This record gives sequence, structure tokens and C-alpha cells, in this order.
Amino acid sequence: MQKKAGVGFYVFLVIFVFVIMFPFLWILLSSVKPLSELFGDQAFTWFTSNPTIQSYISVFTIRPFHLYLWNSLVVATVTTVYTVFVAAFAAYAIARLRFRGKAIILGVVLSVSMFPQIATISPIYIFLRNIGLTNSHLGLIIPYTTFALPLSIWLLVTFFRKIPFDLEESAKMDGASMMQTYFRIILPLAVPGIFTTAILVFIAAWNEFLFALVINTAEDYKTVPVGIGMFQGQYTIPWGEISAATVIVTIPLVIMVLLFQRRIVSGLTSGAVKE
Amino acid sequence: MAKKTLNDSLKKERRLGYLLVAPSLILILAIAIWPVIQSFYFSLFDYQLNDPQKSSIHLDYNLDLERYLNNQPFLLTALDNEIEVAPPEVDEVLEDIKSNVVSYDDQLLEKEGIEEPYNEVNEILFNFEVPSEELKLVTIDSSFGEDFEQTFEQVEERLVELESEDALQNADRLTGLASGLNESIIRPNFIGVSHYANNLTDVRLWRSLGNTFVFTFVSVGFELVLGMAIALLINKAFFGRGLVRASILIPWAIPTAVSAMMWKYLYDGQNGIIAKFFAEIGIIENMSVLLTTPVGAMASVILTDVWKTTPYMALLLLAGLQTIPSSLYEAASIDGASKWKQFINITLPLIKSSILVALLFRTLDAFRVFDLIYVLTGGGPANSTEVISLLAYKVMFQQTNFGEGSALAVIVFICVAIISSIYIKFLGSDLLGDGVKK
Repeated sequence: MQKKAGVGFYVFLVIFVFVIMFPFLWILLSSVKPLSELFGDQAFTWFTSNPTIQSYISVFTIRPFHLYLWNSLVVATVTTVYTVFVAAFAAYAIARLRFRGKAIILGVVLSVSMFPQIATISPIYIFLRNIGLTNSHLGLIIPYTTFALPLSIWLLVTFFRKIPFDLEESAKMDGASMMQTYFRIILPLAVPGIFTTAILVFIAAWNEFLFALVINTAEDYKTVPVGIGMFQGQYTIPWGEISAATVIVTIPLVIMVLLFQRRIVSGLTSGAVKE
Repeated sequence: MAKKTLNDSLKKERRLGYLLVAPSLILILAIAIWPVIQSFYFSLFDYQLNDPQKSSIHLDYNLDLERYLNNQPFLLTALDNEIEVAPPEVDEVLEDIKSNVVSYDDQLLEKEGIEEPYNEVNEILFNFEVPSEELKLVTIDSSFGEDFEQTFEQVEERLVELESEDALQNADRLTGLASGLNESIIRPNFIGVSHYANNLTDVRLWRSLGNTFVFTFVSVGFELVLGMAIALLINKAFFGRGLVRASILIPWAIPTAVSAMMWKYLYDGQNGIIAKFFAEIGIIENMSVLLTTPVGAMASVILTDVWKTTPYMALLLLAGLQTIPSSLYEAASIDGASKWKQFINITLPLIKSSILVALLFRTLDAFRVFDLIYVLTGGGPANSTEVISLLAYKVMFQQTNFGEGSALAVIVFICVAIISSIYIKFLGSDLLGDGVKK
């Protein structure tokens, strides 16, 4: 269906992108309004005549938003690095080696990725509470394995399968051991796939809500989604601060998406489409 | 000879395979599968964190030595004091009660493995310290436990009776100590499938399941139709393709809780721009309808979900569309097939598995929805948007009733298992990919 796009098509595109982006746009505009203009009649004007960064300042001074950001960053990074590392070995074996039970293992991985979080949360919470890991970074990294590891294995298996088998064969001919083949030949070729997997796992861990809500209840250990989700004012909902915080977390994501969109799309669709 | 080395290398490969898979499998088993089994186990108990007698799981009778030793000696002293001042006919009853308490204590100490922790806890309490959980709880056999319950219930009843006859001087203290003693026995809290029976006859569960299904069907339905339309429209070469793709990805990439908060602002009854827009074009009567009426709230939640995930759906379907060779459409147009015919006969059959995979993941995500609703409506107004995961969360972490909450969690698990097995039946082994199927 490779057709030339007409004017009507571009009009549609502009409307489509506007609808998708409107909430962000509105939040961005609200975040620079003075507090008095967030309520009443002025709440509906597009542009404020007195832009201010007051909301941005109070996000960091009145609220510990920098702690939320730090906690999310630590938890998501450690989760990503360790699960992708562990998964890379399993995925290589499933994709390239011959042994019995591969289909069953992959089936288990897929089923676990479908588990509802709520079904694992009570034992995990009790366990973490008993060993004193609630309100800690490790207390989130452990349960995040439940979704990050199956996701990593699943994606990496599809990427490993795409690497041509001939390379391995010729390495074997040259007398390389299996581990040598893995580290010298397969791994370098798999780097793009591993990177894509890491991006997707990072986003999943960064966005997680239920475990973070239940396990880290202390203000100092909240993550960004829980922190913003629980923003409460004394009398009113602090929309100014919420808008500012939303803008702060959205901008890095926008940059990441712009930089890595090809990879993200290939990762998202790799399980869904067969070549 | 050659055959032997081939076999050897096969064996080696197999061993390496299991070795490489092992760490992942062990982690998955320990952190994902084992908790689900435990959830099911928890759901068979009357397990409530805020009730000291039910705050852990007991198949047997247990005695809380701390509570026992904090009450029993003082009860004996209080009885002695009372006996000194009481008239003879009351004395007789009190003596009897006392001998009951003492003889029970003797019997207890005769039991195997009781004496040591008994003395240890006693000493710790004597020093005004707190004994550990493991030390203070001792298991006793069930006939002895039942005996304990009967004995001390009787003690309490008789003291209460004397109290009502105004026969006691320190009535409050005596009955207080007796009831404290009564609470030191911890009954087994195994209750079988009662939680399931209670839940399945509870209107709230069925309502939340209903809400979950409405949310899932309506939002996934819209997402499929809109996503398909968008995918078909942008499946062509055009200027600015990368930019459109990036803007599609942004709603998908931001945390659901954050986007829910954002939309809560847009829907706000006083300051929300979307609420004002809808009110002005006449979709809703006034701005407050969106978050304060049951239908409005459900529609708001669904709209937010559609906004967040339609682009993602479009992306998955677009990837499917791009695998269809354009020569098929060219041939069809030469044969004079209409656009609609081409869609039905070429597009749909070829992207069937893409659609099913996208639908599977979306349906499961929608069914497990939690953060969107927790932040946007909290389940309200009047539980009209309370979905099953939210109900389970509330029972577990707001009412601290882990037994009942776990039963609800298991019900969610079973529903998810049913939904996915239906899809997988349609998909067959396609889902696992070519490499495995043999």
C-alpha cells in the first residue's frame, strides 16, 4: 500500500498528533502559571501573562521530588542491568542450543509474564517485611524481577534467533569452545538487541506502581509514579506542582523516545510479528 | 569414533543449555511462581495482620507465652487477695477457680518442649524486655488447646458471674486478667474455602468483576478499532514519519500513574479543560459529571486508557501490515477487487496473528488494571469504577485482611488464566515462534 500522501492525509496527521499531545501541552502550559491562575475563570486561558517557575521550585523544596527521581533511577537501573544479564544466558540457550524442554521453558516464561501482580503481592510483601526490606531499594528490585526477567528473556530470544547460525558453525570448525563462541561472536552481534531489551525493561521498571505503592511507603523511598500519584495538598490538590513534576519526568522520556524510537518499536513488535 | 564425539558434543551442549537456563528458572520459580502458590495457601486462612491472634498462619493451636505469663501469675495473686477478704461461699468458688488455673499450668509445664521457652520468656519479662516472636509462640496439641480454651473461658464466665452478683472487691482486675489469659491461646486459623464461598456470594465482588469486564471490553474494543484505522491510514510513506511515531510512543512511555494524575486535572469539575470542553459541546450536562457520576467516571477511565494505549495498538498492527507484500494488493486491484474486499480477503487473514497477539496482551493488561483507576477515581464514586485488583488491594492493605485479599487475588489469577488460555487456543503454537515448534 505504498501510496503518495495527500493534503487531507496531512490534515488528519496534524489533528491526530494534536489530540495525542494535547494533555502534555496543557500540563506544560499549566506548570508555568502562577497558582492563582490555576483556579477560576483563568484556569481555561491558554497562555498566562505572568509565567513563573514557582511550581518547579516548590516541587523540589516543599516536596522531596529529587528523592523520588533518585529512587526510581536506582531501582530501574539495577533491575535492568541484573535481569538483562541473567536473561542473556537463558535466552542464548533457548535460542541456539539443542536440549529438551525448551518449549516448556519458554511457555513458563510467557505464562509468568501474564501473571497479575496482585496475585504475588501478599507473600512478597510479608517476606520483605519479615526480613526488613520494606522501604529500601532492594525491596523493589527483588519483586521487579517477576515482570522484568520474563520480559527480558522473551525479547532476547527473538533477537538471538535472528543471528545467522553459520557464524557459530564456522567458529566451532575453528575449534572455539561454546563459551568462546558466545562471548566473541554471539554477544557482540546481539548488542543492539540487548540494548533494545534494556530500554524496554527500564521503562517497565520505571513505570511500575503497585509494588512501589505497597512496599515503599516511607516518603524517602517512594518512586516517581507513586510520588506523583500521591501528591496531596492540605486543602486543595496542588495542580501546579503536579504539572511541574509531570513535565520534569516527561521530558527525559520524550528525549529517550525520540532517540531510540526505532529500537523501541522493534522491541515492542518483535513478539507480535513473525518474519 | 566420529559418532561418539558427536554424541559427546551433543551431551555437552545439552548440559550447557540447562546450566545457562538454570539461574533464570530458579529466580522465576522463587520470585514469581512460589508467591502465587503461597497466595493460594494464604487464602485458606483467616489471616489478618492487625489482629494479634490471626497475624500469622497456624494449622495448630499455639500459646503466646508472653501474654500468658503477663496474666497468669497476676491472676493468681489477685485471686489470693480476693480470697482473703471474700465471704466463705465466694471463697469456695474462688479456690476452685484458682486450683483450675494452677493445675492447668502444671499440665502445661509437663508437656514436652514447653518448660524451656516458658522459663526463658519468664526471665525476659522479669527484666522488662520483649521476647522474640519465635520464642514466645509454642505449639500445643489440639486436645490440650481445646482444653485450654474451655478452662479459661469457664474461669472468665464464673468471674463475670460473681461480678454481676457484686461479690467481688476487685472485680475489674480479675475479669480483665482472665480475659487477657483467654487471649493468649491462638486457635488454628485454617478455614478452608470459606473466603471463596463468602466472596462468591458477595455483591461487591460481582460488581467489581462486572466493572472489570466492562472496562476491559469497551476499552480494548475501542483500541482495536481505532488502532486498526490509524495503522491503515499511516501505512504509507509520508514526510515526518519518525516524528509521528515518536509522538505515538510518548503516551505509552510515561508512567500510567502520572498520566492518570494528568487526566484527573483535565477532568476536574472546576478547573478541568476537557470537562469544560465536553460540557460546552454538550456531551455532558455540566463539568462535574465526569468524575462524580458512575457512568461519567467509567467513561473517563476508559477514555484515558484509550488515549494511552490506542497508539501502542496501532503500532503493533502497523508492524503486522508492513509484512504484507504490496504485490498482493496490486494483483487484487488488477482483478478489480474493491478496497473493502482487499481488506477482508488479504489484510485481515494475513495479520490475524498480529491482531490476536496484540489483543491478548491488551486484554490481560486491561483486566489487571490497577494504577490508572487507583489514581484517577480511587474506585469511586460509590465503587462504580472499583475493579477486581483494586478491591483485592483494598482488602489486603487497607483492611489488612490478607486471607480474604489473597482469595480475591487468586480469583484474579484464575480469570487471567482463563482469558489467556482462550487466546492461546486460537493462536496455537504460533506464540512461541518457529524455533521451538518441531
